[in-house]
Amino acid sequence: MTMARSIINIFTITEFELRKLRHDFSEVFMRVIQPALWLLVFGEVFAKVCVLPTGSYSYLQFLTPGVLAQSVIFVAIFYGLMLVWERDLGLLHKLLSTPAPRYSIIIGKALSAGVRSIFQAVVVFALALVIQVHLNINLVTVLGVLAVIVLSGMCFSSLSMFLASLLRTRERVMGIGQVITMPLFFASSAIYPIDIMPDWLKVVAHINPLSYVVDALRAMLVTGDFSHILVDIGALALVTAILIGLASIAFNRIIR
Amino acid sequence: MNIIEVESLTKHFGQVTAVDNISFQVGKGEIFGLLGPNGAGKTTTIRCLLTLIKPTSGTARVCGIDILKNPQQVRQISGCVPQELSVDGELTGYENLLFYAKLFHIPSAIRKKRIEEVLDFMQLTDRANDLVKTYSGGMMRRLEISQVMINRPQALFLDELSIGLDPAAKRVVWDYVMRLREEFDTTILLTTHDMNEADELCDRIAIMNGGKIVATGSPEELKLRLGGDVVSITTSSPDCALVLSELGYQLLPQSRDSVCDLVVKEGDSEIPHILERLKSRGITTQSVSLKRATLDDVFLRYAGKRIGESEADWQRTRMMRRTLRRRGQ
Repeated sequence: MTMARSIINIFTITEFELRKLRHDFSEVFMRVIQPALWLLVFGEVFAKVCVLPTGSYSYLQFLTPGVLAQSVIFVAIFYGLMLVWERDLGLLHKLLSTPAPRYSIIIGKALSAGVRSIFQAVVVFALALVIQVHLNINLVTVLGVLAVIVLSGMCFSSLSMFLASLLRTRERVMGIGQVITMPLFFASSAIYPIDIMPDWLKVVAHINPLSYVVDALRAMLVTGDFSHILVDIGALALVTAILIGLASIAFNRIIR
Repeated sequence: MNIIEVESLTKHFGQVTAVDNISFQVGKGEIFGLLGPNGAGKTTTIRCLLTLIKPTSGTARVCGIDILKNPQQVRQISGCVPQELSVDGELTGYENLLFYAKLFHIPSAIRKKRIEEVLDFMQLTDRANDLVKTYSGGMMRRLEISQVMINRPQALFLDELSIGLDPAAKRVVWDYVMRLREEFDTTILLTTHDMNEADELCDRIAIMNGGKIVATGSPEELKLRLGGDVVSITTSSPDCALVLSELGYQLLPQSRDSVCDLVVKEGDSEIPHILERLKSRGITTQSVSLKRATLDDVFLRYAGKRIGESEADWQRTRMMRRTLRRRGQ
């Protein structure tokens, strides 16, 4: 009974977060720009230089899953700003005074952040088509990619909500977002293979959840090598669960 | 039966004591007001009752359920309209209500009917499908109240109900609150720093100042404790003051020959008697005016300052709160 109610709460919160998009679609367009820049400018240029050892795949093939993952987490990592904004408005006080358990609010919001990331996947697929990058696109990989995208959106938006609950101001959440996105990005396999990194960076890359996201996406879209995919998705799911737990515990602090 | 029972509630924020050992009870169907200037601890009290923050000591019960032991159950039977805006401008009025209907698990069979009922009650039906950001302030307030009424709460908490509304919109919102109580017998705890609002709406009031409750009673009782109303009588007979004091009325020292000010318990019912008695003594009166004791006078007496004096500080307080938040304190 309680469990069923919590699940209803989660989907209700997700549903209405997404309904807001229907009324204001501008956010979707904002999400398009970054991946477009990385693929069309950075990707095209680096593909010509051919300095990165990407094996039997072209650099653009190698890069596309990385850009997809990057564009998802760059948006999700600022999701906590929304909590601060809703707290300042008063929406959060009212939401927290409903019987909905804290964790259901966090999961509901994380899920909506995850679902929003699907737009980026669509955009990246479309761009890849335009610049003629060869990707393995079939029903299984598309569904697999969407699942990984939604999960990583949930993972990093929960991280952001956790940080927002601790830091509680817009400026700090902005700041910390800036501070962690670039290291996450560069210390992952998003734009170059882990093999060419110095040893200390390899260690960082291996504990970086973004590496697992990229690895899973790359397996499905480019290499077709599924030997790591369970580890990738398992690690991502575990980190997501931990972050959701932390965010739920810290949640009350935001309205203090 | 008491719906809300507060027992020695205390809340410290660091060094600051926001709520200082307060106790009160609110009976079923009662509209109870916490009246006081900004920073008196009203909102903190409400947030404790809504289980949003934990009191430092003391406790409270809503419908007999302890806020410390069963916070989730307390939230299930309570409704709250915070002083800040709490409806989502990016959703339509109907969607805002549907959201809460689902969060409170109103069975889907009666959901639509319940939403239509509250929309109709608050007279928002014709704007239900417009985005809330296009609503006027008064309409948003009504929608906020409808949103919590979806769940038919036993206890309704209204924090600074009419802040930022123009006088006409205020009156409309007051009417709805009165009707809520009549129709659903909802117990309402509201906070306000508006004397007029407290006077119009509340059955009983607790005056708060510096985190303490300094006086409790119905608005009438509180005003009576001041001694009553002031009746001013203008007359051309020089004996008027003398006659009045012979009749046993209490004259105020500022009375002059032509104008007599006297304090009476209930001015409106006393005036006819005064006039009759003066007439029988052969004194003709030219005009009579009545100045009723206001809650502002009551507040002055118990808190040592006029509540209006803090009114101008409202903007400053808001700014200060925001700065504190920025700094994360």
